[in-house]
Amino acid sequence: MRLRVLLCLPLLCLSLMAQDPALRDTFTQAKALWATAGDREGATTRLDSVVAALAPQALGLSPEWLQMLCESYNWLAVLDDRSAQNKPRAQVRLQALIDLNPDYEVDKALTSQRLAALFERLKGEKFALVKLSYAPEGGRLLVDGKAQAPTTRKHLPFGPHKLSYLRAGHGPSEVTLELGPKDVKEVAFKLTRTASTLTIYTQPSDVEVLLDGKSLGYATGKGGPETASIALPLGLRPEDLSAPFVIAEVMPGKHRVEFRAPCFRPRVLELGAEFGSPMADHTLEPVRLEASKGTLSVTSNWPGGELFLSGQSLGPLPVLKAQVCSGPYELLVRFPGGGFSRHISVDQGKAQELVARPKPRLAFLGLEAGDFTGRTRLQSQLETLGERLEQVAFLAPRPGEAPKEALARLKASHEAELVLLATPVPDKVIRYVELSLATLDGEEERMLLKPLEEDPLGILAARLNRLPRLTQADLGLSLLDLPGEPGPWVLSASEAALKAGIQVGQPLVLANGKPILSVASLLAEAEAASGTLALSQGGTTLNLPIHQEALELPLGSSGLSYPALLAQLRLLYAGAKGDAANQVRLNLALTYMQFRKFDKAVELLRETRISTTVGISQGTVDYYTGICFLHLGSTYQAEATQAFRQALKYPQSTLLGPDGPLVGPLAKLALEELK
Amino acid sequence: MHVLSPWLRTPVALLCAAPLLAQSQEADLSERLYFSGDRAYAAKAYKEALDTWSQLLQAAPKSSHAPRVLLRMAHHQLDVEHKPEAALPFLERLRTDYIKAPEAAEGLLLRGTLLARQAQRPGDLKDAMAEFNRVLDLFPQSPACSEARLQLGRAWRDQGNLGRALECFLDAFHLQEDSPVAPQAMLEAALSMDALGDLPSCLKLLQRLRTKAPESPEAQEASWRTLLLVRHRLQKTPLRNEGPWPAGRTKWLKTPTVLATAPDGELLIFQNDLDHVFHLRGAELLPQGPPAPGTRILLNHPSGQLWILTKAGLIKGDAPVMPLGALSAVSGAALDRWGTLWVADAKTPALTLFPAEGTPRTVASPTATALVPLSTGGFVMAADADRKLLFLDAEGQPRFIIPYGKDLPTAFRTVTALATDGAGQVAALVDGGDYGEGIVILGPDGALLRQATLKALGISGRITSLAMDRDGGIILCDRRNDVLFRLK
Repeated sequence: MRLRVLLCLPLLCLSLMAQDPALRDTFTQAKALWATAGDREGATTRLDSVVAALAPQALGLSPEWLQMLCESYNWLAVLDDRSAQNKPRAQVRLQALIDLNPDYEVDKALTSQRLAALFERLKGEKFALVKLSYAPEGGRLLVDGKAQAPTTRKHLPFGPHKLSYLRAGHGPSEVTLELGPKDVKEVAFKLTRTASTLTIYTQPSDVEVLLDGKSLGYATGKGGPETASIALPLGLRPEDLSAPFVIAEVMPGKHRVEFRAPCFRPRVLELGAEFGSPMADHTLEPVRLEASKGTLSVTSNWPGGELFLSGQSLGPLPVLKAQVCSGPYELLVRFPGGGFSRHISVDQGKAQELVARPKPRLAFLGLEAGDFTGRTRLQSQLETLGERLEQVAFLAPRPGEAPKEALARLKASHEAELVLLATPVPDKVIRYVELSLATLDGEEERMLLKPLEEDPLGILAARLNRLPRLTQADLGLSLLDLPGEPGPWVLSASEAALKAGIQVGQPLVLANGKPILSVASLLAEAEAASGTLALSQGGTTLNLPIHQEALELPLGSSGLSYPALLAQLRLLYAGAKGDAANQVRLNLALTYMQFRKFDKAVELLRETRISTTVGISQGTVDYYTGICFLHLGSTYQAEATQAFRQALKYPQSTLLGPDGPLVGPLAKLALEELK
Repeated sequence: MHVLSPWLRTPVALLCAAPLLAQSQEADLSERLYFSGDRAYAAKAYKEALDTWSQLLQAAPKSSHAPRVLLRMAHHQLDVEHKPEAALPFLERLRTDYIKAPEAAEGLLLRGTLLARQAQRPGDLKDAMAEFNRVLDLFPQSPACSEARLQLGRAWRDQGNLGRALECFLDAFHLQEDSPVAPQAMLEAALSMDALGDLPSCLKLLQRLRTKAPESPEAQEASWRTLLLVRHRLQKTPLRNEGPWPAGRTKWLKTPTVLATAPDGELLIFQNDLDHVFHLRGAELLPQGPPAPGTRILLNHPSGQLWILTKAGLIKGDAPVMPLGALSAVSGAALDRWGTLWVADAKTPALTLFPAEGTPRTVASPTATALVPLSTGGFVMAADADRKLLFLDAEGQPRFIIPYGKDLPTAFRTVTALATDGAGQVAALVDGGDYGEGIVILGPDGALLRQATLKALGISGRITSLAMDRDGGIILCDRRNDVLFRLK
C-alpha cells in the first residue's frame, strides 16, 4: 500500500506541475468571484478544487504552493462561516489550516474577529507559542533535528522539543523546551564566534575549491538577484556567477585557497596571517578563472585509428591541431587490431604532437576461484602486470566481472587482441597456477607458475616484452671466422660487393677504421652504421652499401610469447606495404605453423608475393607452402609437389635469414620423397 | 519422486561418498609415497627410493605420480646403474599404460634413444625411429620434440638417407631455436650438407652455430671443421714443410712408425723401439695402454678407449691381446657406427668384420693395403694391386673408385698409409711410379685437393705413417731419423 502511495506521489507532482497555471488561475478567479461578484458558491467550488489538488501533496509542496493552500483554507473558512448551511464546516477548514501550518496568521482583513478568535483557540488546544530571537541572524534553525525557517514565532506541539541554532564561523546553541497548554516561551539564541568565514563566488560555476590543498567541494549553481551588487560592477550578470560557496571554518593564520576547473587556468589566493584577526565573515570579490587550452595533433602510419581523450572521442586519425583544454589526459587511440595509450598533459598555449604506433591490447580476465597461500599477492601482481609491459597495452579486469563474461564481452567488442587467464591447478594443496595467454581466435600458450616464488610473473613479462628482429643489416657478404686470419674471411660476395672491389677468400680487417676481429663485431658495426660501411681488405678500403635483409621469426623459442607475436605481426602487417608487408605475412604464417594451424598458414602464404629472389624471398614462401600442404595430409600431395617445384625456381632463396640453408636442395629432397 | 526415510539417508550418503573418499585417500597416499621416494633419492638412498616408488606403482597405479615414477626409475637404471637394458621395462610400461601422460613424451624419446644405441645394423633402427616419430606425432608441442628430431635425423643418416637426415636436423633447431640440442642439430645439419655436396651452406651453418652458441662444445668443433674445410677445399695452398715438429725437435723419439689423431685432436705415436703407444700432450709424451709390440693401427673407440691393432691381434685398452683369426698382415682398420671393427689384411682379398657381439664375417673386396673410416659413415681403401682408391659406403660397397694418380701429372704405384681428418678429407702417403714418394690430399668426392712429393718438400727419411691435425696440418713420422715433420 505504502509502495503504491510512493509510486503515485511523483505522478501527482507531475500532474500538479502540468496544472500549475490553471490552478493559479482558479485560485485567482475564486477570490475575484467573491470580492467582485459576491458569488460565494462559485468561489467555494473553485477553492475546493484548489484544495483537492494541493492537499494530498501538502508535505511535498514548495513554500509558494503551501501558501496558496493555506490561503485557500482561510478563504473557505470565511466563506463557510457566512453560510448558515456550511457554518459548521468553517471550524473544519480552520483545523485543517492549523494542521497544515500552525504558524500561519489568518488574514485579518478577511477573517472576522470571531473566526480569528476561534482559530487562535483551536490552535491553543494543540500548540504552544515559542518566541525566538537570533544573534547574529542568518543562521539555520533546527527543531527536533529538522531544518525550519528561522522565524521569530513558532507554534510547536505540546511536549519536549530541542531547538538548535547554527551559523558558519560560530559555535552552535541548543535549547530544550517542555511545552504545555497556554505556554508562551521565549528563546534567545546568541552564538559565539569561533572562526572566520569566507564567501566565494566564482566565474564560471562548477569550480573546485581547495583550502590548504584539501578539496572542500565545488562552487556550483547560479547567483541570484542578491549577487547583482557584486556582479554588475564587474560587467557581469548575476547568473554569470556561481551560487555563494561558504568556507565555514577559516581559523586565524595564513591560508591558501585554490580554484580549479577543467579547461581553465587554476587560480590561487594567498590569505595573509591578518586575515583571521579579528574573526569575521568575509566575502571575496568574484574569482574569475581564465580559459586554458593547448593544441594536440595525433597521427599514425597505421590505418583505422580513433582518438579518445579520457574516454571522449575526438574522431578518426589524423587529428591535427585539435583545441584541447589544458590538463592531464589518458590518451587512447583504438586501432582495428590494437591500441596506443599514453598519459599526457596538455599545457596552456602549447602544441603537442604524437605519432601513435599501436600495441596489441592484453586483457587480464582474472584469477579463477581456488584458495591458496599467496593468492592476494599474485592477484595484485597480475593486476599491475601492465606496469611491466612495454610492447603490449594492458587492460585490467573490470570489478565484479567473471572471466567468462569478460571473455564474451571482449569477443563481441574486440577491445583486446590478447586475453590472459590465471587458473589455480587443482590439488590437495595448490602449488601451481596455470597462466593461459591466447588470442581471441584461440591461439594459446600455457605456462605454470609457482605463486610463492619471488617473481612469478617475471618470465611472462620478459616474454611479452621481447620482440624478435625481423631484419638485419647486410653487406652482401658471407663471412667466416677462420682461425689464424686477422678478421672475418669472405666466403662469397654479392655482385654489388664484387663490383665494389671485395675479394673472395680474403679477410676483412677494418670497418670504418676500427679493427674487426670477428663476424659478430663486423655485423655490430654494420648495425650501428647508416648507409654505407667502409671496409679494409688487403690494404684497400672500399665502401659497401648496407641493406636490411629479412629474417625469419625464430620458432619454438621459450623466450617469446607466440600469441603476443601473432598480435604484433597483425599490427605490423596493417602498417606495412609492399615487400615489407609480405615479409610480415610470411612470418605470420610461420607463427601459425608454430601453432600447427597449417591451413591458416597456407591461406596466408598463397597470397604472399615477395619480389626478391635472394635470401628470405619468394622461394622461401613457396617452400613453406609445400611444407604446410605436407602437414595437411596426402589430400594435398599435388599442391605440395607444385609448391616445392615452384620453390626450385629460386635457387638463391634461403631459410632463417640471408645466410641460412638454401631452399633449393631442400625442395628437391622433399620432391624426391613425394615421388 | 521417491523420498528415502530419514533413517536410511545417512548410510546411503556414506555409501555414495565411499568411492570418492577412497579415491582421495589413494591420491593422498600416492603423493606421500612419491615425495618419500623423492627424499630418499635426493639422499642417495637409492634402494629405499626405488622400493617406495615400486610400492606407489603397486598401490596407486592410476596416480598421476605413477608415470613420473616410471620415468625416474628408468633414468636411475640408465644414469646411476648404467644398465640400459634394465631401464627398458620401465619405459615399455610407461608407453603401454600411460601414453596420455606428459611424461610419456620423454619416455618414448628415451626408449628410442636406447633402442638406437642397441642397434647392430641399419635395419635395427626401425623400432627406435618409430618411437621418435611417436614423440613428434603424439606430443607435437613437447620440448622432447627437438631431441626426437635430432635422433631421428641420426637414424636416417645411419640408414644412409642423408636427405631425410638433413630435414630432421634442420627442423630440430629451426622449430625449437633455443632447445639444448640445437647446437648438436646445427652441427649434424652442416655435416649432412657437406656430405650432400653443398659446402658453402655447410660453412655458413657452421658459422651460424658459432654465432648462436659460441660457448658450446659444438661451436669448438665447428671452428676446427671450418678451418679444415676452408684450408683443404677452398684455399688449397701448396703443401709446405714446416720442418721438424713440434718446435723443431729432432731425435726425441725412438723409431716412430705409426701415427693417429686422438679424440682431443692431439697426436698418438707408436714408438717401435719402445713397443709402446704415446699420447703427445703439448710437449709431453704420455704412455697409453699396455706394451704393444708390432703395432700396425691405432683406433679411437667412441667410448674413449684406445684400440691397438698389432701383429698379434687387438688390444682394447688394458685388456689382453685378442687374436684376429687368420689375419697376419693387418694393413688398415676402421670402426663403424655400429661398433663393428673392419679390418683390412694385406694378404686377404676381403675385409673382415668383427661385430661388437657375434661372429666375424667377411665382405668381398680387393686386397687392401690401407683402410680408414670416413666421417660420413663409409671407408676409403687403397688397393695397390688394382692401383685404385675405393670410396666405400657403410656396407662396404664401392661408391666410386679413384685410380692412383688421377689429376696428378704422373701416377704413383702404392699407398703406404692413409689418414683422415674427421672433416671428410683423406690424406695418402704414396710411393712409386713416376710420381715417387709424396702426399696426396683428396676430398670426400675423391677430387684431388693438394699434393706434394717428399722430394719437393725436402724430406728424405723413411716415412711410414701420417696423421691429419685439426689446424689443417699433416704430420709425418720418419722412423729412420726419429723425427716428425709437419706440412701446412
